[in-house]
Amino acid sequence: MNTIRDDDLILYHYRDGLDDKRIVEIEDALFASADLRERYASIEHALALADALPTPVPDADFNARLWRQLEPRLFAKTNAAKRTSLRDSLQALHAWLSPPRLAFAAACVLALALGIGFYAGRQSAPVPAIAQSAADAAAVRVLDAYVAEHLRATEGVLLTASNSDSADLLDGNRQLAASLVEANRLYALAAARAGNTALADFLRQLEPVLISLANPSQSAPVQPSEGLRDYLRTTDLLFQVRATQARLDRGGERRT
Amino acid sequence: MANEEARWVAQASEGDAAAFRRLVDSHASALFRVCARITNDKALAEDAVQEAFFNAYRHLRDFDGRAAFSTWLHRIAVNAALEQVRKRSGRGETELPEGEEADDLLATSVEAIPGPDRRAQSAEIRRDIETELARMSTIERTAFVLRHHEGQSLEEISAVLSLSVNASKQAIFRAVRKLRGALEPVG
Repeated sequence: MNTIRDDDLILYHYRDGLDDKRIVEIEDALFASADLRERYASIEHALALADALPTPVPDADFNARLWRQLEPRLFAKTNAAKRTSLRDSLQALHAWLSPPRLAFAAACVLALALGIGFYAGRQSAPVPAIAQSAADAAAVRVLDAYVAEHLRATEGVLLTASNSDSADLLDGNRQLAASLVEANRLYALAAARAGNTALADFLRQLEPVLISLANPSQSAPVQPSEGLRDYLRTTDLLFQVRATQARLDRGGERRT
Repeated sequence: MANEEARWVAQASEGDAAAFRRLVDSHASALFRVCARITNDKALAEDAVQEAFFNAYRHLRDFDGRAAFSTWLHRIAVNAALEQVRKRSGRGETELPEGEEADDLLATSVEAIPGPDRRAQSAEIRRDIETELARMSTIERTAFVLRHHEGQSLEEISAVLSLSVNASKQAIFRAVRKLRGALEPVG
């Protein structure tokens, strides 16, 4: 009985997703069975027709038009970045971080380094593209799992800050928010390095919120909740935190 | 070329517009090609390419050279193309149809297959293939484009699309089945 399905033949065509033993089995079966050869030819015919479609080519003015639209956006961004002293403020806050927070951040760095180091370790010698992509995917999985956990903690901090009026609880929450700031920055950096700019942007959007929660106004140290409630009401930040966390969790489940 | 490109990346990350323009000129056509295949729409592809370069520039300092610059940029462009498709559809269309939903999709495509008389000319077959590509779900089309046209591995595709390797395989299988459906008479 022939147990080779059309799906196997598709993978065989791409030489991807099959181990060497299975490839040899399919080769032998193709040699032995005219029916299988016919099925395989049909698949190759369909794929060849996809190749025969015209390759999308931009018009001659595309690059010039692209740059005309891109340049003002990029330079507007650069100038705005120069005007603002936000980065300087963040650097000052960074210096302000206390040892426990730095210890937490170091733990995060270590965790990330384990994930990305696995990937990086494969870079020291020439490796096949498949091995590199497997390492790449593994690094993405590690990052997703850590960021999902980080977002769960962030959601808790936001909810506590917006719902609680207890001084003790808010003080503990402030410390937790402070411990999340540095981790948030590291995860944003790792996401950007992985090419996931949407996640990186989202995490960077969270940073000022975490910083303000970590460093409430000295004049009103235990009553930040009204402003935050207003902020959470007028933005969909909490929803975005939950949605991103759920998406990362789903991605992780699908990969396992 | 690789050294030259690395220099452009370094210069562009310091705000050198001329260096970034060189990167844009080097990669724009390739990004347009993959975005056009994913979006099935040249205008959306142009928007996706622009967003991809915009995002890449903003995150250029984060690029650490572990992967090739083109690989990093390509991944940003695929995400930008998917985002354009999401915006167009006005809903999260990139969920992978599974189970009965996937079967329904296949049934729909089978019902829509034109009769044998329409296949006399290769131009019509090409149109049928184009129709099937347009009819694929975004995930199916993207997975197929990345595997077939861009030569990416299943591992790479699963990382870009946030899917399991198995789900990526299934998306490609459905895409190929639909293409074959455009060629073969029913029953």
